[in-house]
Amino acid sequence: MRASRHLHHVYGWLLLTPAAILLLSFTHYPTVATIWQSFFSTGTALRPSSFVGLDNYRFMLEDEIFWKVVGNNLLFAAGTIPASIALALLMAVWVNGRLPGRALVRMAYFTPTVLPMIAVANIWLFFYTPEIGLLDQILRAFDLPTRNWLGDPDTVLWCIVVLAVWKEAGFFMIFYLAALQALPPELEEAARLEGASRAYYFRRVVFPLLMPTTLFVLVNAVINSFKLVDQLFILTKGGPDNASSLLLYYIYEVAFSFFDDSYAATLTVVLLAALALISLGQFLFLDRRIHYR
Amino acid sequence: MTAIEVEGVTKLWGTTRAVDDVSFRVPEGSFVVLLGPSGCGKSTTLRILAGLEEPTAGRVLIGGRDMTRAAPAERRISMVFQSYALFPHLDVRENILFGLRVRRVAREERERRLARVAELVGLAELLDRKPAQLSGGQRQRVALARAIVSEHPICLMDEPLSNLDAKLRQEMRLELRALQRRLAMTVVYVTHDQAEAMSMADRIILMRAGRIEQEGDPDALYGQPATLFAASFIGTPPMNLLALEDGPEGAVVAGSGVTVLEGPGRGRILGIRPEHVRITEEGGVPAELLATDYLGADTVISARIGDQRLGIRVPGRFRATPGTAIRLAWSPEHLHLFDARSGRRESGPAGLRGTDPAPVRIAATASKGGGS
Ligand SMILES: Nc1ncnc2c1ncn2[C@@H]1O[C@H](COP(=O)(O)OP(=O)(O)OP(=O)(O)O)[C@@H](O)[C@H]1O
Ligand SMILES: [Mg+2]
Repeated sequence: MRASRHLHHVYGWLLLTPAAILLLSFTHYPTVATIWQSFFSTGTALRPSSFVGLDNYRFMLEDEIFWKVVGNNLLFAAGTIPASIALALLMAVWVNGRLPGRALVRMAYFTPTVLPMIAVANIWLFFYTPEIGLLDQILRAFDLPTRNWLGDPDTVLWCIVVLAVWKEAGFFMIFYLAALQALPPELEEAARLEGASRAYYFRRVVFPLLMPTTLFVLVNAVINSFKLVDQLFILTKGGPDNASSLLLYYIYEVAFSFFDDSYAATLTVVLLAALALISLGQFLFLDRRIHYR
Repeated sequence: MTAIEVEGVTKLWGTTRAVDDVSFRVPEGSFVVLLGPSGCGKSTTLRILAGLEEPTAGRVLIGGRDMTRAAPAERRISMVFQSYALFPHLDVRENILFGLRVRRVAREERERRLARVAELVGLAELLDRKPAQLSGGQRQRVALARAIVSEHPICLMDEPLSNLDAKLRQEMRLELRALQRRLAMTVVYVTHDQAEAMSMADRIILMRAGRIEQEGDPDALYGQPATLFAASFIGTPPMNLLALEDGPEGAVVAGSGVTVLEGPGRGRILGIRPEHVRITEEGGVPAELLATDYLGADTVISARIGDQRLGIRVPGRFRATPGTAIRLAWSPEHLHLFDARSGRRESGPAGLRGTDPAPVRIAATASKGGGS
């Protein structure tokens, strides 16, 4: 009896082991190692790495580029999150209706999601290129002044925002569409019988019932706004003058262009902590106001 | 006064005729049941009344006004869905008040109506619950409350009781009917359960394959079924339908020598309800007992005359071994005669009570059919 129970546990652990090894070696160990490293200086040939306590963090607080990049990232988040969610919801409601050829429209909206970010960035490069890009050609056709969209610190971040919204909205739309299709059609019929307008029905019934989806999408959008930096490699390399650089891209530069591993680790810890806090806050704060079926 | 008038309504789904040239009237304050088997177009008809579906042809008049193309909200009707269609994120109170809020009814008025309706359907204690925290019966009451609180004169119900267990369904039937009378509501009620229709309806509209098969009060449908379909759909167990053949002295039950009435038998079908067949000691028609099904208050016996099977309903418990020879008797006024080809009732138009047994002479009473 006891032996067999014991064996039971052994099986359990054996089954868990492959996944546990992967998780430990590729998620938990790097995380711990990163935190560990953020308390050490970057070693060079002459000066080996040494424990510096919070020096890296102190340095970070005085790093102007860090603050600039954080500011950029907040603007980027503020620009992409609400816009992509609103657009996704709008498209989902539109595509959910009785529209001729809606399968085609659904696919069209979803295409940006399927494309790799690098390909997307290349497409948008054609739009933004000065003089010969689509945007400038249109402006010229109307005799409006053209500009170097990606070369101007005033416009470059918004160009990146537009691209990200375009890329993300289609993805989020799929979740909204699935949620909308799960709503029983009688709910709308019952509301129509009571004389509720479409807008009223949407506000009072559809939107609250979509809240679990919205929370899910919101968490993803927040994480993506810190995670999506592929386009910078193609379009701007963070320039001009760090005007379009985002936190993760800055970490990449610090680690692989400036080879300052410890400072990169420090920045990474801050990014992770911020993301964890935001997600936690979202779940704790919003969960209470959401109806789950 | 007529609350609803349906004139020649047809609804096509592609090429299927879900509703086919249907016309009927619903008097004000009456309880009308649309009855029929699955897929016969009951729900479609109801949804056309509600304005959730547009008819392909025909007109719908509500309160004397043509509402064929009017939006649902203009029709001043409420509806109870089979699935109840409660808003899952709103509590009972808000579910009931949904329509009043849409129509911006003043707060005091809202509260007054809510209190009254909650009392009426017995939900007063449950107003703060979400639908997921209610039993099926309670959800049903919320759906009902939502329909009542609107104070619309007409209420449409699509199989509102079909998700409840048998006992609760029985109770709700009585309650619903009492409520309808008390509030003088006009109700159009869809069901495929003939017992429900019989017990609740002022008027039954029996449908088959998109058409109206027969329309009348429960008595008429039970007592004077106009077609074979009506005869076999209403009553549990349904009416016995015995194919007849020509015999030497009149019509005989197919496969037997028992003469049951005068005149030709081929192409005609004799109908008799199980509760109208008696078992007698002498006289009557010889039959073979096949099985007994004890139901508590009565026993349903399956038997065979010739090659025709029939059911017999007798009170109390009836014990017999299968294969026993028994004798069956019935009174002429309980017989129904149908044309096998058209399925129509033979003896004059339905509703003319007393004309149908006239040509029927029962061989059994003359104890002529004893031998075979
Ligand atoms: N939206 C639709 N599209 C196509 N055909 C439909 C649609 N709704 C109903 N039908 C068809 O119309 C016919 C009548 O359907 P309806 O729902 O009115 O039947 P019903 O009498 O209510 O049956 P039940 O008792 O099963 O609910 C059926 O043959 C059904 O397949
Ligand atoms: Mg139906």
